[in-house]
Amino acid sequence: MRRDLSDAQRRARFEAEVLPYLDRLYSAALRYTRDPTDAEDLVQETIAKAFRSFHQYREGTNLRAWLYRVLHTTYISMYRKAQRRPQESLQDEIDDFSFYDEVSRNTGGSAEREVLEALTADEVKEALAGLPESFRVAVYLADVEGFAYKEIAEIMDTPVGTVMSRLHRGRKALQQALATYARARGLIDTPSGG
Amino acid sequence: MSSESTHEWSDECRAALRRLESYLDGELGDLTKGRLRQHLEDCAPCTDRVGFEGQLRALVRQGCFDEAPAALRDRIRNHLDELTAT
Repeated sequence: MRRDLSDAQRRARFEAEVLPYLDRLYSAALRYTRDPTDAEDLVQETIAKAFRSFHQYREGTNLRAWLYRVLHTTYISMYRKAQRRPQESLQDEIDDFSFYDEVSRNTGGSAEREVLEALTADEVKEALAGLPESFRVAVYLADVEGFAYKEIAEIMDTPVGTVMSRLHRGRKALQQALATYARARGLIDTPSGG
Repeated sequence: MSSESTHEWSDECRAALRRLESYLDGELGDLTKGRLRQHLEDCAPCTDRVGFEGQLRALVRQGCFDEAPAALRDRIRNHLDELTAT
């Protein structure tokens, strides 16, 4: 059906449907690459690829998930091919960590919300940037983009169970990093007998 | 260790906490979700915890927004021009 569209129509349609996601794709690309120049290149290449294969996108299905799938595969082909990645992992102790417990133990009860309110966007970005790639991407897709487990599994081409464990451990690691910032700024006390 | 604000979690609380992540992810089935909500109605500490975790996610969501540079927007439009010109 798409093939019947003229180039101009296809272009207009693509711009109308896809370009509204540009800020979000750029935000995601920054989390993937952790570098503004690389992020721009990644977005540009993603858009080009999406445009070339726009006829493969089936109307009525989730355009956003399709675009993120294109972003993900583009990232892998652009940036990951060259590097040999060691198996990514987080320390086992991460499972025992709870930011909530840290905060409620070390502040006076109702100050929990204030601790979170005091954390800045830059601290959040930095904390996320510190996570290994597969955890960082899973957490981003879930917490920022609100994708379902199944959608994340498709975007990252990985089983749903793997997505769930990456999310669980990635979020714990993220909380641990945020707790470190909160402690450094005196928002929560250093744990006693840690 | 001061324990004034630490709460003794019951088995029910522990079950609720185990499902907290899936709950906030919107991935629980109706039955389990109903049971969890019922527990939250009766349990202030668990409700507090859910509020904290929810606020934390909102913080991550809001913290991770970056506007695409205008130059990138221009580059993309030019690139699309090239792709459609051929």
